[in-house]
Amino acid sequence: MNCEELREYLDACLSQELPVGTSREVLQHVEGCPRCAAELAARGRVRSALQAAVRATPVPHGLEAKVQRAVRAQHSRTRAGIYTIAVAAAAMICLAIVNLSRVKASPEEAILKKNSGRLAVVLNVGLRDHLYCAVFRKYSRQPESAAQMAAQLGPEFAGLAPLVQAKLPTDLRILQGHRCTAGGRQYVHFIMARGDRLLSLILTRKQPGESLAGGIYQAGVDRFEVVGFESRDYLAYVVSDLDAQQNLRLAASLAPAVREYLGAHLG
Amino acid sequence: MPHLPELYRTAARLLGDSAQAEDVVQETYLQAWKSFDRFQPGTNCRAWLFKILLHTIYHHRRKWFSLRRVKESEEVLEQAVARMPAVPERITEEEILRALGRVPADYRAAVLLADVEEFSYKEIAGLLNVPIGTVMSRLSRGRKLLREQLSELARSYGIGLAGQEDRSA
Repeated sequence: MNCEELREYLDACLSQELPVGTSREVLQHVEGCPRCAAELAARGRVRSALQAAVRATPVPHGLEAKVQRAVRAQHSRTRAGIYTIAVAAAAMICLAIVNLSRVKASPEEAILKKNSGRLAVVLNVGLRDHLYCAVFRKYSRQPESAAQMAAQLGPEFAGLAPLVQAKLPTDLRILQGHRCTAGGRQYVHFIMARGDRLLSLILTRKQPGESLAGGIYQAGVDRFEVVGFESRDYLAYVVSDLDAQQNLRLAASLAPAVREYLGAHLG
Repeated sequence: MPHLPELYRTAARLLGDSAQAEDVVQETYLQAWKSFDRFQPGTNCRAWLFKILLHTIYHHRRKWFSLRRVKESEEVLEQAVARMPAVPERITEEEILRALGRVPADYRAAVLLADVEEFSYKEIAGLLNVPIGTVMSRLSRGRKLLREQLSELARSYGIGLAGQEDRSA
């Protein structure tokens, strides 16, 4: 390596971005060449001085507190918006048990009554993500491409998108398929729209104690309709602002394909 | 607040104004808070915050500066970088910050992210939305312009350059 070649490598050397072999060549050259050694030292000196000077920049007194206040103010504004409906929805789903019913007329009304509080909590898990992710975020009404969706869903769930689309009525298209988080919980989420109606198919891995006891349940909360069903390891929901019958029909057409996919791929 | 000092110092050096830097840092955390559920756990939180910061600065500049951004003439830059500037033996904090302030913003950003915040080329490419090759050339030119500015400053102060021992402390 001659001096000219070495100068080309000095920047990468300073950033520690040189491959090991080249670094060794640079060091070998520098050991025997005082001019290049001086150049490398000078550049190192500038870098150290810059690092020290910029890092010494004092943070203005009170900035951290000011930012914290702004974040808290925004947080409470957002919460006021989301939670007015989410809390109202949660309260309603827990209290308005009259609306909670087991689909396919079950003789076990007593069991339903006994478990309705717990079931309502489980149904609320799906409703929460619909509210947070589909309702309060304004998504583009332009459907994503299949490739975008597959990338966002990841390999485990990418295969589910075409199966879901195939089961949807022709006037419903998947706008978005992605993974999201609400309330610290992870979801796989398909957002669909018909006119100004917004629909979600939502999957989430079961947490200990969560179960729909093998049934399909529906609940009406405010303007939202929730249908919940399950596979061995997953809870699945169809949530929309369609009327109860339409929402249930949609869930009934999606449930077999979704369960089959989960059973074959994920449990 | 995590990473606030780093975000502030980068904003202050890029904008050259502490009040604007404060606004931009606040905006960064508000944006980060809003989109926090988009942050993928396990990815680099610091890089994510810097990305929001740089995006905010870009919009801030567009919003507040009616002046069009002057594109540095390639020729002028080439001339500046063709010389081998001599770097003073001792560099004060004030000198280096003043020199940095004279480096055009795009190059300054590359130098700050690489040399002060120690992001890798690949990370910087992601933060600035440019190819790695562009990061390398901006960094190389930015560093050279910085050395050039330092050496000019030293000359204007009549301060001795590298190799001269008569510089007063």
